[in-house]
Amino acid sequence: MAEALKEAVEIIKYKELLRNLVARDIKVRYKRSVLGFLWVMLNPLLMMLILNMVFSGLFGISTKNFTAYLLSGIILWSFFSQSTSTSVVSFLGNSNLIKKVYIPKAIFPLSVVVSAMINFIFSLVPLFIIFFITGTSVGPHLYLLPAILIMVAAFSFGISLILSTLTVFFHDAQYIYEVLLLAWMYMTPIFYPESIIPQKFISIFHLNPFYYFLSIFRATLYMDIPAIPEKLFFCLLFSLTALVTGWFLYNRYKDRIVFYL
Amino acid sequence: MNEPAIKISNVSVKYRLAKEKPKTLQEYVIHRLKGRRIDYEDFWALRAIIFEVDKGETLGIIGHNGAGKSTLLKVVAGVLKPTDGNVKVTGKIAPLIELGAGFDMELTGKENIYLNASILGLSKKEIDRIFNNVVEFSELGEFIHSPLKSYSSGMISRLGFSIATEVDPEILIIDEILAVGDERFNKKCMERMTGFKKSGITILFVSHSMDEIKRLCDRVLWLDHGRQRMFGDPKSITEEYQKL
Repeated sequence: MAEALKEAVEIIKYKELLRNLVARDIKVRYKRSVLGFLWVMLNPLLMMLILNMVFSGLFGISTKNFTAYLLSGIILWSFFSQSTSTSVVSFLGNSNLIKKVYIPKAIFPLSVVVSAMINFIFSLVPLFIIFFITGTSVGPHLYLLPAILIMVAAFSFGISLILSTLTVFFHDAQYIYEVLLLAWMYMTPIFYPESIIPQKFISIFHLNPFYYFLSIFRATLYMDIPAIPEKLFFCLLFSLTALVTGWFLYNRYKDRIVFYL
Repeated sequence: MNEPAIKISNVSVKYRLAKEKPKTLQEYVIHRLKGRRIDYEDFWALRAIIFEVDKGETLGIIGHNGAGKSTLLKVVAGVLKPTDGNVKVTGKIAPLIELGAGFDMELTGKENIYLNASILGLSKKEIDRIFNNVVEFSELGEFIHSPLKSYSSGMISRLGFSIATEVDPEILIIDEILAVGDERFNKKCMERMTGFKKSGITILFVSHSMDEIKRLCDRVLWLDHGRQRMFGDPKSITEEYQKL
């Protein structure tokens, strides 16, 4: 317990490193690309356009504000999937550093989550522009936006800690997670409205933590959905559980990590 | 002068080498389903090491390859946690275990200075303060604004050495003096090292050169197969060592 607290203090001491790691990630990622940082905003937009054509054009789904529905799902999911799938290999990938210098290791998955968070915030810009263009009005719960952002970040960080620690000992965890993530994505109503889920499967979908994060996120932005307090409670529950589990698992095994790199 | 800079109390480091260790979840599950136990073999890289290093002292560490010298350095630097025993280090450590740990080739020299120094635990203010000195000592001039991939290996080493020594550590850990640059630059580095000694910085120094050990060190630790073989006077210990 005390060890876990000490580790948290250590990470705060290394906040300059955190800043540099995030800066490095952003700079290196976009240094060579023609569109540079604009790509952060363009990517979800293009995805949304294609998915819009497929789902409403081809499959004839006609949900109200489908564009906003799609885009909000895409950018929130991207935040989560990007942070977790990049974090999976963050200890393995930084083995040269970890073996040579003392660093509080959790800083690596943390920097990944922070980078993803910055990308996420930037992609809110085209989101609101699209809202304006398509005439989707912002809902009454916009004040919840910081809360949902923090909860999804905490959830992502917790999962990242679990995955990155696990992958050190079991290298195939990254591949298993890749597949798991894909299935998870389809189990979350990102591209399709909840209404098309068959009645008998609804309870399974309600076991998905991301279902709650996404519902609240959409409610925050433009929709007014039923049962907001209950859904908020589940969001809090899942994010805290992931964070606490991840933090304790990491602290339990962190001293052994260097022996396996 | 009461508190030693480094206190190693009965430190042992064990590596667990598992025969046929399942490295993937798939293998692990199959292994367990088959009811097979994993056979482990314990390798003690260090065994019951006990010594103290006083502030301002230079301790030399000698031993054949595989004796545990690097492991000991890593334990002091906080990279490895000992299996048994206790490590107590008082003061900021700059490890020269590998110069330029964390250097990113795509970033400029300046960006790498900030990155590398923050890896060594410095705050932004502290880095701002030493920045000009680092650039000056490394003799990189305008190149500091170019990405590292345009540097020669000598330039990279010089930058690494400059950062590690400007960090103003209280304890310096050197794993074999690496050839940092040309004759002239190496001389500068040696001068800086002796300067450190004079200003009372504690130095842990691993080397295979008995001359350097005798010249720089106050005391010597001889590691043999992970065990502490001799500890004390440089002259007598290096003589013994060279007899082998």
